[in-house]
Amino acid sequence: MLAISRRTFGAMVMVGSLGFMACEAGAADAINVGIIPSLTSHSPSIIAEAQGYFEDEGLDVEFVSFQAAQPMAVAIASGDVDFGLTAISGGLISLADKGAVKVIGGALMEDPEVEGQKILVSKAAYDEGVTTPADLAGRTFGITTAGSSFHYMAHKIADKEGFERSEISLKPLQKVPAIIASLKSGQIDAWAIVPNLANSLSAGEEVVEIGEVSDYIDSYQVTTVFTSTENAENNPDLVERFLAGLSKGIDDYNAALVDKTMSEEETAGIVEMIHQYIYADQPLDKADPRIRAGAMRISPNAALSLASVEDQLGWFKSEGLVPEGVTMDVLVNTDYVETH
Amino acid sequence: MSHDTQVLGSTAGKHKEERAVRQVPFRGGGFVHRPMGPIGAVVFLAIIALWEAGSRTGVISPIALPAPSEALGALWDLVVTGMLWKHVGASLYRLVIGWTLGSLLGIAVGLMIGLFSLARAGLLPLVSALFPIPKIALLPLFIIWFGIGEGSKVATILFGTFFPTVIATYGGVDNVDRNLIRMGQSFGLSWLSIVRKIIVPGAMPAILSGFRISASIAIVLLVAAEMIGAEFGIGAYILMAGALFATDQLIAGVALLSVLGLSISWLIGRAERALLSWRA
Repeated sequence: MLAISRRTFGAMVMVGSLGFMACEAGAADAINVGIIPSLTSHSPSIIAEAQGYFEDEGLDVEFVSFQAAQPMAVAIASGDVDFGLTAISGGLISLADKGAVKVIGGALMEDPEVEGQKILVSKAAYDEGVTTPADLAGRTFGITTAGSSFHYMAHKIADKEGFERSEISLKPLQKVPAIIASLKSGQIDAWAIVPNLANSLSAGEEVVEIGEVSDYIDSYQVTTVFTSTENAENNPDLVERFLAGLSKGIDDYNAALVDKTMSEEETAGIVEMIHQYIYADQPLDKADPRIRAGAMRISPNAALSLASVEDQLGWFKSEGLVPEGVTMDVLVNTDYVETH
Repeated sequence: MSHDTQVLGSTAGKHKEERAVRQVPFRGGGFVHRPMGPIGAVVFLAIIALWEAGSRTGVISPIALPAPSEALGALWDLVVTGMLWKHVGASLYRLVIGWTLGSLLGIAVGLMIGLFSLARAGLLPLVSALFPIPKIALLPLFIIWFGIGEGSKVATILFGTFFPTVIATYGGVDNVDRNLIRMGQSFGLSWLSIVRKIIVPGAMPAILSGFRISASIAIVLLVAAEMIGAEFGIGAYILMAGALFATDQLIAGVALLSVLGLSISWLIGRAERALLSWRA
């Protein structure tokens, strides 16, 4: 048994608080950044931390892992996490409407020159004649939850192909693995997903690729950088420093994995950094190809496509998923990054 | 009741004989619940009023908890759009089919375990091994086995209600008064008559209280069952509200589940009165 007398405990508290004060007095501001360890699109913050870009900005970054975007958004609203990258979801807009979070920049984006998100169908549906996205009318489409990016993509396909949105029957399955299981076993007909997952699925027998999402959504801003309203309005200096560090991480990511302008040696170094957090449960030689495969461009300098965000917000309203009164000003703070 | 009158009667009898004995106040009574009328509703309303006041004055942040009036508004939206009946109807369908099948199977297996030694030796360890498995953990397998349609949802509720019913039923059979069974035997009743007239009615109180538990478990599992491919249903509505962080809808959905639980409990109360009238 470890016995701690009251006096020892008092001394420990004293030392602890002194140490804490010493940290406070130092130059580095401690911030928490949310990541989802199964998605490579969270790599730029990890690279920025490993390369010391955040340190250069006087930021002491701690990563907090989440299983999904929704709890991350709630943690930012509650102030437990300072910054995060996620798709614009109904939950995020709701929290923005309640004055808790703000979108401050762009991250993952569709680039016509880079491989983007793919539309997939099950082999059974393909054999029944679903060979182009136009044939998706009357078919089932897997989504995680109402108001997720999958929901948005399904409806954008319907809009562009000119059939009613309600003709695609949406199947909420909560989690990506459940969607994959359902698609492989032919219980849903179609899905759309980022290229690294799409390619490994369509390499198998059960799934066929029939189109690209970029044909249906113009300059799609897939994920955005967001923070608490408190940070965005009252702590501009901290936000600017975070975005400066992140931008350098984004440049490294794009150079290494998207444009492939880096030397092989440097690229391997970048992959190793990412591997500290992403696919960390697999050995490096196994995770390496999965990290490199199908990397999509991350918006340079975290520039934000306002047109795409506005289109997404409009869609949420048209489906009654968010309150009618939410405006772009409520959702986005444009003070920090270039917008287009 | 009869106890009281007996005691009173005997003291009254003694009074006539020996007038000198001092009066003893009646010391029985107490430890009995009397109906208190609307106290339950008053407590309920007081908590809601406090909650509403807290939300209005800003003591309770709208992110932490929406005001009850907002949740009521979300409920009203459901009524106006007619979605309420779609959600409640879909959920009731799954609950009724899953719970009925689970209970029927549970009673059948429970009676077998209670009546036959071979069934007890073979099935009881199996029930004990399978009961603690969280049915939610098996959801991915249920997708493959039963599909993403109604099958996996009904199956989740069925498995959830089956095991508690088995345990309640064989426990009830074990607790049937042995003297009654011996009496039936000495009157020359057949085996089937004893089961039908003594064992099943004797086990009924335990089976019905098992129903109370299994019906609540069925409602708890409804949300899990509707995680997979459900467009309508109270569980699907709650999950959607959670994903959209629409806390007013979330509270409205949870309130619907509570109302469902209350109604089912009331129905089982009626069933108890009808089926256990022999006890009075």
